[in-house]
Amino acid sequence: MQDRRSFLRLASAVGAAVVAALAGIPALRAFVSPAFRRKTAEKWIKLGDVSNFETGVPVKVDFVDTESDAWVETRVLRNVWLYTEDGENFTVYSGRCTHLGCSYGFDQESGKFVCPCHDGEFDLKTGKVLGGPPPRPLDKLNVKIDDGILYAAFRNFRLGIPDQVAV
Amino acid sequence: MGKLFRWLDERLDLKSLKAGLLDRAVPDRLTWWHTLGSATLAVFVVQLVTGIVLATYYSPSPDHAYDSIQYLQREVASGSLLRGIHRWGSSAMFILILAHLIRVFSMGAYKYPREVNWLIGVGLFAIVLGFSFTGYLLPWDQKAYWATAVGTNIAGTTPGVGGRMVALLRGGSELGAATLTRFYAFHVLWLPVSLAALVGLHLALVVRQGIAPMPGLLDNFKAPQRTDDERYAGFYQETYTAAKSGQHRFWPDVMGKDAIVAAGAVVVIVILGAVFGAALEPPADPTDTSYIPKPEWYFLPLYQLLKLVPGSMEALVAVGIPTALILALVGLPFFDRNSTRSLVRRPMALVSLTLILGGSGFLLGSAMREAGPEVPPEVGRPLTSKERAGRALFQSQQCGGCHKVRGEGGDNGPDLTAVGLRKSSGWMHSFIESPSRFHGADTRMPAYGPPALSHQEIEEIAQYLSSLRGGVGPEIQPEFHDTFP
Repeated sequence: MQDRRSFLRLASAVGAAVVAALAGIPALRAFVSPAFRRKTAEKWIKLGDVSNFETGVPVKVDFVDTESDAWVETRVLRNVWLYTEDGENFTVYSGRCTHLGCSYGFDQESGKFVCPCHDGEFDLKTGKVLGGPPPRPLDKLNVKIDDGILYAAFRNFRLGIPDQVAV
Repeated sequence: MGKLFRWLDERLDLKSLKAGLLDRAVPDRLTWWHTLGSATLAVFVVQLVTGIVLATYYSPSPDHAYDSIQYLQREVASGSLLRGIHRWGSSAMFILILAHLIRVFSMGAYKYPREVNWLIGVGLFAIVLGFSFTGYLLPWDQKAYWATAVGTNIAGTTPGVGGRMVALLRGGSELGAATLTRFYAFHVLWLPVSLAALVGLHLALVVRQGIAPMPGLLDNFKAPQRTDDERYAGFYQETYTAAKSGQHRFWPDVMGKDAIVAAGAVVVIVILGAVFGAALEPPADPTDTSYIPKPEWYFLPLYQLLKLVPGSMEALVAVGIPTALILALVGLPFFDRNSTRSLVRRPMALVSLTLILGGSGFLLGSAMREAGPEVPPEVGRPLTSKERAGRALFQSQQCGGCHKVRGEGGDNGPDLTAVGLRKSSGWMHSFIESPSRFHGADTRMPAYGPPALSHQEIEEIAQYLSSLRGGVGPEIQPEFHDTFP
């Protein structure tokens, strides 16, 4: 009788553990998965013919992105800032201020990028922070030139932190 | 561990809780059939846990329901598995609760003094049916939409209140957004709360009244003929006390067996969920009246029966029979006051059980042998109306003369068995219209643009081709290699 009882006690513990694990593990995995989501891929956007861009003058290029909000797809207007000194080497910055994501502009007088939200300032040539609250320099995007056309790899980065972390 | 127990016990008197619940004596000779109730409860807990996470990723609106489920299956870790467990768990719930009902019926355990608990059990059964009916609609695919349309139409044939019943179920005159949110609220709020409350009561009564003793122990020469005989209560009390020789305790003698069977049931459900998953047909198309829905398997016997009766009797059968069954279950403890418990000594009970189970089984078998919506082997799921038109055109235009699909067809052109994984339907549409644009003037593919085929017809063919993804196995994500000249 005691052996039977001990077996049943053990079987109950094992049974409960099996049920908890088999149902609980997939449920937990699915529930926490957004915290471990793999990074979205880079998206190459066409900026234009290389010969079209003036040297020494920063240019804002707008483009329409398709954003997936879980299962809802929406179209979103985004922009990047493009700068070249020699017409061959290009620097492309993400158009989102690294502080809180506002679209910044270029101030002709001071020759700096200035963000209207909290007066953040960035250097044109390097993207370094010259003033205001932004925690890190402007995010530079990868560029490539294919058949005389300039492309940039757009991606989103986490805002408000000193490290550049792709989302 | 012992320290923790002592700390809690000092404050909450866990010892008397343990004595009252776990250490109580149970009747002798309980069988493995007695584990069915707790197995049902265990599966319900699994449904609750998987359901909560599914609800975290589901959007109950016709615009987004289907997409949210595809997102869950493709983008969420263990998403497909969760859906599979929930789907197979719902079938298991029905089987287990029915088996539990049959066991209780067969042992006459619904008789004195457990009539109230039997009624609660019938209520629980109805709630489980409600769960399946409401859950079925949520994917908002063809099967979900059309099966619910038919089901709510059947409710509408109820004489007198039919019209109002349909409007109440649908949240309006037609099946739509209001229906989906209504069914979702039932499935996720109303029904779980009701089930939890009734299960709590059900268990409380089992603890209070004890587990019913085996029929043989109560069917002895001393038993009065009827349970409403004034001597019956005294006889029952005496016999019940004697039935508990004190050798068996709830824990671990009963709970141990419960745990083994419950775990076994869950293992089976998870394996089935992992291997077969949950199907998802094309999105609901309210304009496609040619789709033939089939309800979930436990409603199939009734569905089959409806085919055998003339139209005038439809309401009687479709609404009357389920109503009569529920009323019979509810009334059972009241019109059966005979004190005999053992099934073999209750001819009426034995015959009714055999007829109902046997009849349902026969109807279920014949329903399953019949065709449902057509599932072309090269696609592996029912087609949308556009895809069906495209398939007919593929055949009438004899595309198979040059192209193989699943081993059948010619060799002049590429094999199209899984073309839907390589090319988007947009690309295929452009290509079919003007192949020379893509492959140059010497292409062997004829141009099928107007006037040969209209744009609509080419689109239908392209949709059909897009559905060709090998036809077997789990859903594979397409990787399009489209290039447009």
